Amino acid sequence: MRGLPIIGGAVLAIAALSTAAGVHYAAPREAHGSHWQEIAWPFPRDGWPAGRAFRCDPASCGAEAELYVRPKIGFCNCDSGVADDDEVDRVADLDLISERFAPLASGKPVRIAEMSGRLRNYHLDMSGGARHAAIGIAVSHRCDLLVAVAQGAGGAGELQRAALEFLASHEMRHWMMAALGGG
Amino acid sequence: MNRYVKSATCPLIFFIAFCGSAYAQSQVIGAAAEASNMKLVGTNDLQARSAYQPTIHHQGDRWIAYIGHHGGTDAIPDPLNPLTGKAEANGTSIVDVTDPAHPKYLHHIPGQEGKYESGGAQMVRVCDGKGLPKADPSAVYMLRAVGGEGHEIWNVADPANPVLVAHIGEGLKDTHKNWWECDTGIAYLVSGAPDWRTRRMTQVYDLSDPAHPVKIRDFGLPGQEPGSTGAVPTELHGPISTGPAGNRVYFGYGTDKGGILQIVDRDKLINGPKEPTPDNLRFPEIARLAMSAFNGAHTTFPMPQMPIAEFAHDKDGKMRDIVMIVDEAIVNECAEPRQMVWFADVTVEGRPMMISSYTASEASGSFCERGGRFGAHSSNESMAGVYYKKMAFIAFFNAGVRALDIRDPYHPREVGYFIPSITDKTDKRCVPVEGKERCKVAIQTNNVETDDRGYIYIVDRANTGLHILELTGDARAVAGLPAE
Repeated sequence: MRGLPIIGGAVLAIAALSTAAGVHYAAPREAHGSHWQEIAWPFPRDGWPAGRAFRCDPASCGAEAELYVRPKIGFCNCDSGVADDDEVDRVADLDLISERFAPLASGKPVRIAEMSGRLRNYHLDMSGGARHAAIGIAVSHRCDLLVAVAQGAGGAGELQRAALEFLASHEMRHWMMAALGGG
Repeated sequence: MNRYVKSATCPLIFFIAFCGSAYAQSQVIGAAAEASNMKLVGTNDLQARSAYQPTIHHQGDRWIAYIGHHGGTDAIPDPLNPLTGKAEANGTSIVDVTDPAHPKYLHHIPGQEGKYESGGAQMVRVCDGKGLPKADPSAVYMLRAVGGEGHEIWNVADPANPVLVAHIGEGLKDTHKNWWECDTGIAYLVSGAPDWRTRRMTQVYDLSDPAHPVKIRDFGLPGQEPGSTGAVPTELHGPISTGPAGNRVYFGYGTDKGGILQIVDRDKLINGPKEPTPDNLRFPEIARLAMSAFNGAHTTFPMPQMPIAEFAHDKDGKMRDIVMIVDEAIVNECAEPRQMVWFADVTVEGRPMMISSYTASEASGSFCERGGRFGAHSSNESMAGVYYKKMAFIAFFNAGVRALDIRDPYHPREVGYFIPSITDKTDKRCVPVEGKERCKVAIQTNNVETDDRGYIYIVDRANTGLHILELTGDARAVAGLPAE
């Protein structure tokens, strides 16, 4: 009888994992109530599992833009959280897009899915010589991180508005909390 | 029984057997320790404080253990010190281990307020004043990190009555595992200088006169320095120097991700150009070994000039310079790639190469089911002859301490282990499951050190305390110790 709670827990865990895994590699589709289409995660494997990637059409975001979001399980600053802009520079996955990025200004506090952290604007030097605007976001929940980076050829203001609006959608908030263990 | 009943029954039997084995492996209070070729000599509960770095120092005719602590817990932020009757923020425990069967708790120096990794005084190094070039020869100096805010030096000549000598660092972002050369006084302090882009880099100090610290330079990887832009390299965990004779400092970057072993020319580091420009930061570097993104470099323990029996008749390359690299598991219940132990051959310094690895067997103890962290964290760092280049001891969290025969580093071999029993002091470890916390209680062997007598000291992150061990059986022969 002692095994029954474990069996139940295992079934729930498998169900939760299946749900999370299913959305990672879903075929391109439009996320609910937004203009962001889900695309395949475009980066090679690194220290953390792949997250979710989205593309926004120029009509909605001013220019073509992409958004990458993923949890990073295991973050040392459990109590202090994302304490400063340097932390955003380090963890927000900007380097997946380009190693050459520079902040445009100091960042500012942000809250996403009831998690607190910081947001900062950057410019990215892309391969081929183009310069893109980028928004790096890092928020934390206990000892875990949720990071997002949006980038595109348009203006930073419109990119930030569109990215934050999408991240605040019910579907994304639900997914982000589930990805961090639901807690 | 028809085939449909059979097909339904088989998975059920498997599931129950699987779950039963998970329960069977859970630790319970009062159960015996799990051990192979190691046995318990003595123990102390360290006032139920979460323990990190132990340093054992031979002080006159006594042996003293200095043990750094993490911050307190949510339940007990400042545990009671029975010696003073006061609640004190976790700091440094000082324990007389001259008689290892009866360790005697002498003193607790409080640390920085703060819970878990945010407080305490995690790291400890000790040097005799008589060995330092400009120090009081009657003093014994303990260097410790104080939370994330700075470093302190104490005179512990009377270990029951330590006296503060100096404070180093203001407004740091963090601190971590320092290294202090006891013959020169040069110290490599893991700090987070406020203007650097990383939480942990190196501040090199001359502590030959511990009462008057002199800063030599800041050091880190290009991209971490003030004013730089772009990707920020992995933060430092800790260095180990071979001193003026070896003229190398081995820096380990990363904890559980993107590890880097950096080999640095010590003389160029100390005497080269000091302004933290990218060129100046690259100047003393001899080579780097970039590890998988899955693993960090928590400890980089050098073992130069190891004779390799297999290569004894080779005309060249029979001696090898080896660095043992230990990762740190940081996530509970195996929710990350396995953190383990790696051996790098750095004989050809420009082309360091991984040659072998070691992990405790998960299946041998169902460690992913036990609760807390499973994986490597740290190794003993004593270079005393009793074990150096022969055996290594690895703290493996819920798998206790693992004793390795490393005489052939191309084929490291586990020859013993010890997993202490949990006690009523052992703290729980939790993971989020479906929006709720699910907690388990398990040993979390956090760090290990050895002394010149051959005793092995392990300390627990989950508040179980200090366990003093010795080798038994076949493992004694590996170290050349006499049979029991």
